[in-house]
Amino acid sequence: MWEAIGFYSLAIFLIFFGYQTITVPNPIHSALYLVLTMIGISAAFFNLGAQFIAGVQMIVYAGAVMVLFVMVLMLFDLKSELRSFSRGLFSGGIKVMSAALLAGLAIGAANSSVAIMETADDAVKEVDVTRQLGILLYTKYLYAFEALGVLLLVVAVGVVAVSRMKGGTHAQH
Amino acid sequence: MLNTETLLHIGLGHYIFLSGILFSFGMIAVLMRKNVIVMLMGVELMLNAVNLSFIAFSKEMGNYNGHVMVFFVMTIAAAEAGVGLALAVAIYKKFHEVNIRFFEHLRG
Repeated sequence: MWEAIGFYSLAIFLIFFGYQTITVPNPIHSALYLVLTMIGISAAFFNLGAQFIAGVQMIVYAGAVMVLFVMVLMLFDLKSELRSFSRGLFSGGIKVMSAALLAGLAIGAANSSVAIMETADDAVKEVDVTRQLGILLYTKYLYAFEALGVLLLVVAVGVVAVSRMKGGTHAQH
Repeated sequence: MLNTETLLHIGLGHYIFLSGILFSFGMIAVLMRKNVIVMLMGVELMLNAVNLSFIAFSKEMGNYNGHVMVFFVMTIAAAEAGVGLALAVAIYKKFHEVNIRFFEHLRG
């Protein structure tokens, strides 16, 4: 009962702020609504028993990534735009319908796979989430973790290269 | 088909439904908004929706592989945000605007 009330209020919160994120014309307001959406998703993670991931979500998304977004927006000093959506009622309708169709397909496929899904053999109890996650990360997924470190190095070098880029496809000769 | 038991017993399907709605919101933002930074926010929203479904499946399965995957997705999303914002800064330096109306034709 209380679980249902918690889930539905969280779902209404998330859907409202997600809708506001994509519809408000001012990009700064959009970013601030996205922060609220991230906090709501973090609460959903906590509900699902993923305490560590909920904390990381708060720090990485609501903290670092969104501060970066807001800082870039304020650096550009963007005013709210008169025409913030792409033109064309017909093509817009097709875009919304294709997004809804994709979401419906994904939900349908996931829901039909729920029935045939079976619990894993190495099912663990709901204790020590962070400890189990750390053990998994440094044993089974160690190579993926190392590859992720290399990826972050490449991204850091790439970002510097992109920000010093001159010309590109619109170079003026 | 829908009865009180289905509505009140919160399971995997409810979280999948919520995740699908948030994913379609992100996709609509990417397809329909004209500001590049708001489009990047739509990508972040899509990644978060997928993370939510990963955690819901992980709880249903009873192991922590989904948690590790979400950890990786978060790292890659942060890297993607960095690259995307660097591109937005480069575009702004060239056009003094981040609206895709001004650079929808790439030249080779």
